[in-house]
Amino acid sequence: MILFTAPTCFTLLLLGFAFPLPAQAQQQTHEETVAFSSQILPLVTEYCGSCHSTEKQKGDLDLERFASLEAVRRHPKIWQSVAAQLKDNEMPPKDKPQLSPSDKARLSEWVTSLLDGLARERAGDPGPVVLRRLSNAEYTATIQDLTGVSSLDPAREFPIDGAAGEGFMNTGQALVMSPALVTKYLDAGKAIASHAVLLPDGIRFSAGTTRRDWTDEILLQIRAIYREFADPLQGEKVNLQGLIFSHDEGGSLPLERYFVATLADRGALHTEVKDAKALAHEHGLNEKYLSTLMAMLRSEQSSPLLQEMHTRWHLAETGDAAEITREIARWQKVLWKFNRVGQLGKLGGPYSWMEPLVPLAARQELELKIPAVPAGQDATLYLVASNGGDGNENDLAVWERPRLVVDGKPDIMLRDVVVRSQLPEAGSIPLVFGSTSEGVPIAPESIAIHAPSVLAIRVPAEIAAGRKLVVTGMLQSGPSQEGSVQFQLLTTPPDGRALKGLSPTGPVIVHDGTTARGRFEKTFDEFRQLFPAALCYTKIVPVDEVVTLTLFHREDDHFTRLMLDDTQKGKLDRLWDELRYVSQDALARVDAYAQLMEYATQDADPKVFEPLREPIRTRAAAFREQLVATESSHLKGVLEFAGRAYRRPLQEAEAKELHVLYQRLREQELSHEDSIRLLLARIFVSPAFLYRAEIPGPGEKQAPINDWELASRLSYFLWSSSPDVRLREAAAAGTLHLPDTLNAEMRRMLADPRARRLAVEFACQWLHIRDFDALDEKSERHFPDFAALRGDMYEEAIRFFTDLFQRDGSIFEILDADHAFVNGALAKHYGIPAQGEEWRRVDGLRQFSRGGVLGQAALLAKQSGASRSSPILRGNWVAEVLLGDKLPRPPKDVPPLPEEEGTENLTVRQLTEKHSSDPRCAGCHMRIDAFGFALENFDAIGRRRERDNGGRLINNRSTHMDGTELEDIGGLREYLLTKRRDDFLRQFCRKLLGYALGRGVQLSDEPLLSQMQTDLRAKEYRVGAAIEAIVQSRQFLDIRGKQLAYEASSSE
Amino acid sequence: MNNHRFSRRTFLRGLGVTMALPWLESLNVWGDEARGSEPSSEAPVRLAVLFAGNGFHSKEWWARGEGRQMELGRVLAPLNDFREKMVFVRGLYNEQALKGNIHSSQTGNLLSGAALASGGEIRSGTSIDQLLAQQYGTSTKVPSLVLGCEKSNPAVHKNYSMLYSSHISWSSPTTPTPLEIYPALAFDRLFKDEVQRGDRSVLDAVLGDAQDLRRRISSADQQKLDEYLHSVREVEQRIVRAGQKGELQGWRPTLALPNIPRPPDGIPQDIGEHMRLMSDILVLGFQTDTTRITTLKLNNDHSSLRFPNLGVDYMIHHLLSHSDSDDWLKVNQFFMEQVAYIARKMDAIQEGSRTLLDNSMLLFCSSMMTGNHNADQLPVLLLGGGGGRIQGGRVLDYSGKPDRQMCRLYLSMMDKMNVRPGKFGDATSALALV
Repeated sequence: MILFTAPTCFTLLLLGFAFPLPAQAQQQTHEETVAFSSQILPLVTEYCGSCHSTEKQKGDLDLERFASLEAVRRHPKIWQSVAAQLKDNEMPPKDKPQLSPSDKARLSEWVTSLLDGLARERAGDPGPVVLRRLSNAEYTATIQDLTGVSSLDPAREFPIDGAAGEGFMNTGQALVMSPALVTKYLDAGKAIASHAVLLPDGIRFSAGTTRRDWTDEILLQIRAIYREFADPLQGEKVNLQGLIFSHDEGGSLPLERYFVATLADRGALHTEVKDAKALAHEHGLNEKYLSTLMAMLRSEQSSPLLQEMHTRWHLAETGDAAEITREIARWQKVLWKFNRVGQLGKLGGPYSWMEPLVPLAARQELELKIPAVPAGQDATLYLVASNGGDGNENDLAVWERPRLVVDGKPDIMLRDVVVRSQLPEAGSIPLVFGSTSEGVPIAPESIAIHAPSVLAIRVPAEIAAGRKLVVTGMLQSGPSQEGSVQFQLLTTPPDGRALKGLSPTGPVIVHDGTTARGRFEKTFDEFRQLFPAALCYTKIVPVDEVVTLTLFHREDDHFTRLMLDDTQKGKLDRLWDELRYVSQDALARVDAYAQLMEYATQDADPKVFEPLREPIRTRAAAFREQLVATESSHLKGVLEFAGRAYRRPLQEAEAKELHVLYQRLREQELSHEDSIRLLLARIFVSPAFLYRAEIPGPGEKQAPINDWELASRLSYFLWSSSPDVRLREAAAAGTLHLPDTLNAEMRRMLADPRARRLAVEFACQWLHIRDFDALDEKSERHFPDFAALRGDMYEEAIRFFTDLFQRDGSIFEILDADHAFVNGALAKHYGIPAQGEEWRRVDGLRQFSRGGVLGQAALLAKQSGASRSSPILRGNWVAEVLLGDKLPRPPKDVPPLPEEEGTENLTVRQLTEKHSSDPRCAGCHMRIDAFGFALENFDAIGRRRERDNGGRLINNRSTHMDGTELEDIGGLREYLLTKRRDDFLRQFCRKLLGYALGRGVQLSDEPLLSQMQTDLRAKEYRVGAAIEAIVQSRQFLDIRGKQLAYEASSSE
Repeated sequence: MNNHRFSRRTFLRGLGVTMALPWLESLNVWGDEARGSEPSSEAPVRLAVLFAGNGFHSKEWWARGEGRQMELGRVLAPLNDFREKMVFVRGLYNEQALKGNIHSSQTGNLLSGAALASGGEIRSGTSIDQLLAQQYGTSTKVPSLVLGCEKSNPAVHKNYSMLYSSHISWSSPTTPTPLEIYPALAFDRLFKDEVQRGDRSVLDAVLGDAQDLRRRISSADQQKLDEYLHSVREVEQRIVRAGQKGELQGWRPTLALPNIPRPPDGIPQDIGEHMRLMSDILVLGFQTDTTRITTLKLNNDHSSLRFPNLGVDYMIHHLLSHSDSDDWLKVNQFFMEQVAYIARKMDAIQEGSRTLLDNSMLLFCSSMMTGNHNADQLPVLLLGGGGGRIQGGRVLDYSGKPDRQMCRLYLSMMDKMNVRPGKFGDATSALALV
């Protein structure tokens, strides 16, 4: 037995045990028996017996058979209706002898007390709940939740389910099965299974059904990871045989944003007040890269190039981020080059998409076109030798054979034409050719000079015309070979800073094999590691060549190294594994290679593809092995899935059977993949999935269901779907039934977006607007806009209730909310000032006669005719649906009602009144018409109006049969909230309980209904209070014993 | 193979409607005149039940006179050509249908005469078409086809489930037979035969599941689960039968494969088009002998169809039915045109010396006489010859007579199909005149 601690449960538990079940129901006392025979039976016989005798059975009712109290107690349902007839003064009929007031009181009291007693005795009876197939809605939601694919709609073309019990579609009686439906389930199961994606380590479901879809899906996920930290790179466009490709599309480092962030808070960074985490969060940057960058910026760098960036940053102003980034980009350009991915692996082809460049050389050829100058003037050219940023030691630069060159004429040596040259600082000095300043001889036409230095030379216009300056730059070999220098030819003087730093404008000239060279290699390498030109190849699928053997190219080592932590990297690696596995590119490449070789032999030398042959073959072989090796993981995935689909742990025998079926299918020559899919289809057709079976205990006694069954009851009640992982965990732990856990779960579920299904399946079904978006009952001639609006009208109602449930709002909001949910179209329909197209909650709507269900277009339109409003339908709906009034059935030969609004001389109201004045009709209409008249200011599609289609003023005032004056929607609302408050409350509870239990509400539920109402009153009418009372009730927690399961003992 | 005797005329006529058929090989003598066919080579009797909800125009549903001289009310005008093959029946009723006096309470038992459970419960009786499907329909690939042209309305109305309004076919007292409203899927139900490898193994497996589960649940739940068990078994049977094609006994249908294309997916916008497609499928099912029993609900009782195709879209069917307007008459006639369409098609298909219509019983009825819920006499028409056992061109009037149960008519009809349960619904004897 379960121990409950919450007071609510304690009370219910007491009820459950204080009054034994029907089978052991206590015997009536002697006094009661005597009182029945002497006082009640004579009244029944005298006033009811003439019609409701065993012989006549008028209205199918035989009261004569109730000769003893015991017989009465066995058929409470009949006596419930007797009580109702007495209360409503329906019986005895007006033209038959009437009971005296005292007799009537005696009879009524007796019936009431008898029923109360029975209700208490049998309180907590789980009742007869017929085995429930998943309704189409539940089936769909379950499939969507199990597969995680919300676009699946497998029951689209299934027959519509029926409603039973309290009018809901989750009631077992109405959920039938047929051969045609079995075929549909089988077909649907196969169709769902076709969405399964077989992965290296199990099974997943996808919105798509082709390898191409699944591949694209994984590609999208990989790219999404890339995109999170890398910006798209603006690549150069390449034109290949008319196809335009972006050459180096990839993910670039969004460096500028990092510099903006670090510069904005430079002070804080210095003092380490702010850590990378906070800064990254603040600026939406990658924390890992930011801390690496900050480490560089915080301390002096040994690498000259990084040190330069370091210095640059320290000197920068806040707005300099773009400039620093540009400077880095200039370096990236000389330190990297991009290759065509399509060329990778070919003979002599590149090995990677992004390839490092080393801008180091022993000599450099330089050229400069001399600008035209007016005759008689000189052109000035600057020969710049800078020191490579590492000091001036050993930096003796040689300008070898500088000469002026033009086609068709002999070269003119610079030595022979120069007027004079100058160093910027030192004024004009003559140029020395042929030796160093130390007097070491060099070529006679060459100049040797220590870097940094600038030679400005002037060339007379007549010589300069059309010529260019050509020269070779190199280092003078001396005692030390460790110099370094950079050359530049300019037409304008350089600034002084450029002479001392390292510049990306050209290679650094060093001697081969020297330490200096090694040092530069290292500095470049360090720079590349921190500032790669691209982080990753986000394109993945190369389209930069017309013919390629690379289907997917992964190049993201910088990205993973700089940006990802281990978990993220693991995820990316897994996605790449999945991509290779799902796309089966290893196999595809084998075919592609064969085709290419054939094609290449016709057109070009196939030898260039030769190096690819072996790797492609080996990878394909390995992949085939992997396919076989991973088969068992799919089977494991199926078993795991079966447990979730069956909403309980898979039994050993079931697991075994699935294995056996798999083998049998393989023996029928189905492929592994087809067999796995058929196993899934089998799960989707099995009774354990399609039916919500609960196993009763033996005998007649009710007993608690187990936690797995409880998890399902809860999740189908609130979500119309199978339990989620949290519920399954609680069920597995065996704690779900504990009142606190149960409550916590219920609250969590109610706040979840899936409560939308409760809004649709319970609230909309209760109010008769479920599937309103498919309502096809409006005249297109009268309401051409309706079809376009009905989906929005339905959505409004769904959002209203979803919000109410998620917020745990008061159930009276259903009547008097001051807000509504509208989109642009609906706002216009309602005449509410529009503010955009998107859905939103709008408050203060009572002034527009909206708010609450009475002002919702879906309701007003549903309870109308095709072309006109219908006060009768609306009034009847208020009475029966909102208030739970039991109205008599219409008489035979109902006099007809006229059709079109505006075609007659009377208003709809006058027509209705004419009809209702017929005495055969009045009995019913006096109870409903006034409600409908109050809503006459709404037309047949819920628009507010002052006049009807015939241009006549609407009269929205009327008097209800209880004397209340009703005027317009406000008057009706007020009436419902005051005079009929308790009726609405009770009706809501009744409908909610019927929905939750999947059966009609019965006499033994009366104490629970009272409890729900009490709880609601105590808790501001919050809907959660009613739901809580239900889920903690014995009705919800127990199941009848196997022998009693469906005996209609307590409810007829 | 039995020896068939076919007249040359039959053969030529048959060729006119259809393609060359395998059974023609068994014709032993060309031009051999009929000497009276042997019983086994006779075409089977088929049953079509057609239903329209909400009754008819109160003044225009009538017939009087006999044979060619029969006069018809205006509702029935479209059936003028078929007067000689029609029996107009007046005055039949279902005792149980008088109880609720609301649509659903008099429709869910129309074909069974059973009492309907109220109060959110669902219980009726096995309907005549489904009883025949279970006893007579097992020799064809599909025991019965249950079609509809309007989606059902899931609600509980005045204490009765609206399932009763939308379902006249009941496979068991607790199982309303689901209706197929998609023409393409109805077509598939008859002709989609691709049995896929593994299907049987899968069905075997889930049957095993169901049997295991059955042992552990209550007897009431067992009853519910039996719906599943029976359904899966029938699907399995069909797979088995699909493998034994061409083993039909004796008689061969005039058409082996459908001669119309599979209808497009979805539900046609136009209601006339929808009804046409369903009618075509009904006839095709009979013509190919894929099924011998079909129920077609042209609309629901309590129907909310509109008829823009007739210029009547200002009011739904159910509300129209509460009047005797010209538009209501127009809508009634539209329904009768569907019946006439089916009759005409069937009468153009020659099966031996008789037409398919002669070999069939086409029952047309509603669950109330007019829109005012009056079920004390039902509108009933019987078209077709029942395999030569029903004499057409007659008006039978049972009003005011004793023992005028609708179920007596059902006993008569079952008799033509050699199914004689002795008792059905509230009747124990057939109508002698039918």
